[in-house]
Amino acid sequence: MARMAHPQAMQPARPPRTRTARPKAPDYLRPRMLSYLLFDATGIVYLLAGLVVLRAVFALASGPAAWQAFVADLHHPGYVAFHLLTFVSAVFVGVRFFRLFPKAQPARIGPLRPPPRPLIHAMLYAVWIAVTAFVVAAMVGVIP
Amino acid sequence: MADGSKTKTFIVTRFDPDRHEAPTTETYEVPVRERWKVLDALNYIKDELDPTLSHRWSCRMAVCGSCGMNVNGEPKLTCKTSLAEYGDTVRVEPLANFPVVRDLVVELDGFMDKFRAVKPWIIKAKERAVEEGPHRQSPEELEVFRQFSMCINCMLCYAACPVVANEPEFLGPAAIALGHRYNEDSRDEGARERNRIFRGEGTIFSCSYANECSEVCPKHVDPAAAINQAKFRAVLDWAASFVTSGPREE
Repeated sequence: MARMAHPQAMQPARPPRTRTARPKAPDYLRPRMLSYLLFDATGIVYLLAGLVVLRAVFALASGPAAWQAFVADLHHPGYVAFHLLTFVSAVFVGVRFFRLFPKAQPARIGPLRPPPRPLIHAMLYAVWIAVTAFVVAAMVGVIP
Repeated sequence: MADGSKTKTFIVTRFDPDRHEAPTTETYEVPVRERWKVLDALNYIKDELDPTLSHRWSCRMAVCGSCGMNVNGEPKLTCKTSLAEYGDTVRVEPLANFPVVRDLVVELDGFMDKFRAVKPWIIKAKERAVEEGPHRQSPEELEVFRQFSMCINCMLCYAACPVVANEPEFLGPAAIALGHRYNEDSRDEGARERNRIFRGEGTIFSCSYANECSEVCPKHVDPAAAINQAKFRAVLDWAASFVTSGPREE
């Protein structure tokens, strides 16, 4: 007795998939990519800065002596270096954000259109300078 | 040299799935002419030095998007990239983030699937009668999305994207830019459908705005801008679903 044909025997042959080599990762050592990785790494700096703020809050809650000890610790060269690093990180992230923010604005919201990109840039920097000037004035006691 | 050519060393990735376990490299000395592009050198290698080299190319005028490769680590259209930009040694590799089929040729299947996923066509809520005539669009309406319609699907943006490298299922810059292009088209009524896709896993919110896609784009499409504008639109659309009629968005 003849053997039954396989039900799918007449279907067209499907060529096997070609073996491929694994994808290679992008070159992370290119200057632009390094800059992006640095931007990502600033997250660690902000995490540590957050921990310092938490320590300040706990010191404040623990009374004047604890607060004075905390303020004295801030004069340690390690703390000064860390705050310098935080400042540089903040400037770096700010400049990067200001560069990329304008083009992320939608082309229109209903009938409204965003202002020209150079104007958005200028407004961002103006606000930054104003806020920085206000904070510095408050710190040096110009604003009571 | 007397004929105005200068010899450069090309380090080219080679991979034959029947012979190699993993890609290797081969070095060629190429007498390049003053105005040669990287593609000219590859064609010289293929024609004069090693006919077994495989690479894709077609139009030679930065329109077809076939000849994208990594040149000294940076995704480039090789027909548009002058050899004068490089020193004596040029490293040519297949595009990063793509499986390699052979030598400098990469597999496109996954890439094309991502394009289909964003429904890159005009969607109408209901059929338009022929008698109503064409749907006219003003130059101002065209200008809103024109930039995003210039994509030639060269895949350089995928090769540059650090998110695609870590999250291969990420829809990626070109596909999202294309979807956003239709969302911004005044003739289209499918934005809600696409925004539902955009709010899913591995789409717009996976983008960390590295901006690499826009940096390498040879047609200045600026996919990073498209993705981040799409984020805003998708959130607005989601919020609007709470105050307008129609099915509530998840």
